[in-house]
Amino acid sequence: MALLEVRNVTKIFGGLVAVRDLSLDIREGEILGLIGPNGAGKSTLFNIIGGFIVPNKGKIQFKGELITGLRIDEIAQKGIARIFQEPTLFMQETVFENVLSGFHQHYTQPLWKAFLHTPGANSEEADKEKKASEIIEFMGLSSFSGELAANLPHGHQRALAIAIALATEPDLLLLDEPVTGMNPTETMEMVEKIKKIRNKGITVLIVEHDMKAVMSLCDRIVVLSLGVKIAENTPADIRKDEQVIEAYLGKQVI
Amino acid sequence: MVKLPTSWKTIHKKLAAAVILIIILAALPLFIENDYIKHLLIMACVGTILGMSFSMLFSTGLISLGAGAFYAVGAYISATLAMNSGISFWLAFPLTIIIASILALGVGAIFVRNGGIAFVIITLLFASAVVIAAGQIEFLGGWGGIIGIPKPTPLGPIQFGSKTPYYYLILIILLLVVLAYYALYTSYIGRAWKAIKLSPNLAGTLGINQYNYRLLAFTIASTTAAAAGSFYAHYFQTVTPGAFSGWLSIYIQLYAVLGGLEFYVMGPAVGSIIMTFIPEYLRIIKEYEPIVTGILLLLVILFFQGGILGTIINAAKSNNRNNGQAIHSIKSWLQKNKNPGAGER
Repeated sequence: MALLEVRNVTKIFGGLVAVRDLSLDIREGEILGLIGPNGAGKSTLFNIIGGFIVPNKGKIQFKGELITGLRIDEIAQKGIARIFQEPTLFMQETVFENVLSGFHQHYTQPLWKAFLHTPGANSEEADKEKKASEIIEFMGLSSFSGELAANLPHGHQRALAIAIALATEPDLLLLDEPVTGMNPTETMEMVEKIKKIRNKGITVLIVEHDMKAVMSLCDRIVVLSLGVKIAENTPADIRKDEQVIEAYLGKQVI
Repeated sequence: MVKLPTSWKTIHKKLAAAVILIIILAALPLFIENDYIKHLLIMACVGTILGMSFSMLFSTGLISLGAGAFYAVGAYISATLAMNSGISFWLAFPLTIIIASILALGVGAIFVRNGGIAFVIITLLFASAVVIAAGQIEFLGGWGGIIGIPKPTPLGPIQFGSKTPYYYLILIILLLVVLAYYALYTSYIGRAWKAIKLSPNLAGTLGINQYNYRLLAFTIASTTAAAAGSFYAHYFQTVTPGAFSGWLSIYIQLYAVLGGLEFYVMGPAVGSIIMTFIPEYLRIIKEYEPIVTGILLLLVILFFQGGILGTIINAAKSNNRNNGQAIHSIKSWLQKNKNPGAGER
């Protein structure tokens, strides 16, 4: 069984069909790439999975459970984390506090114990702080731990967004253009990070325009064009797919 | 090795500062003869509590123009209990807290569905409705209010005759509120509130239920204001609808804004002290006093954004930077300009 099943999803904005009768599976443990020209419906699909947009038709199942129509926080609690295209961070907080906020749903102590700062609540807090430090270190942000998120350079803000998402301890991580705007070195570093994240057992869905990154990263790729899925295959076969080349890639790119 | 957040290093300094502040506050009546000054101190404490309740909602991204509403509700509950059931302040006070928290939960369940400007207007209307309702209901004394509310009964040898016992009473209430609020802000509850304020979308993707956490803040903030109201009723021994008119909520908000909105505890304290004492010393100019106060406030809000505390801390920070972090700030400035818009949201 697939981890996430998208079944016959259609989303219409006014007269524009953003996603048309789309079905796809995300298998457990894979890195699935979602590519397509601007306006292909990639971001719409992301927003539908994350609960920001409710589809007109179709359903989405996560671990066999229907999640269409749930609120964003309910979907997050099921184990889906996402990062936004624009770095969305708690800008006026430090890197450390940002990551600590990510653990919210994993606090098991009830409100009143947290309020009274009971020994249990304190040790839980210490535990989360330790885990937050580990994630910060993993994402290579240790030297920025006490810095305000707003003061970080662009690439590090991306890394921080992923660090926050990792703190939610997700089963599925949705990455919207994680390497866009990065130089080649930064891109390769990020690609390695994402591979490591997958090796931790986290399934990854990634939307990205940087073809080199997508090809080296993904196990499978789904190609969207004008809201319709036109191909679904391994990177090697996607390169050869005539329809894909025509619709999107262009012969020079590959 | 990962650096600890700065708040951990300063926690002992904060504790020491708090102890010194408490000692000074506790010793104040020994040096003040004037009853009127004592009265102003008491009202500054009440104002601080109300300003903190405004700040708690602000910490979740909600701006309440009805901060005075539950202050009035608390005062009326306490007064009604004391007058009709003959119970003393010592019982009326906790009962008021319980009743007000249930009311706040019910009212809040409807109010916090709306954020932004809708919440501002709803709370403003609610505050007006509470005042008008109190004036119209005969049982609550109508526009004449309730008079002759009993003083708190003696507590052992302590008689509530002069201002001093009232001062200590409100100081203890204030300290308890500060302690409770501090405990909340430093737990995952406070962190969730802040997350909702800073980015509702990101907070949602972290599994934070915006509605539940805002409702919790609304209930706690309103109950706190009601507790201050209960004290007010037994201190003034009179409650009238006029005392809780629309200006009150505006003033409460000003305490928080003036002191500094980002300082959830000290901001309201600084703002409340200034707003209580400055107008009194401007009395020499009599009827022009509100105008001068108004102009002063406008100037502070226009030119000292971040409030008084925010301005002081920023000045201290930039001073620090000049003394060694100049290179760092140039670096971050260069980074910001390399990626336009990366620094802001």
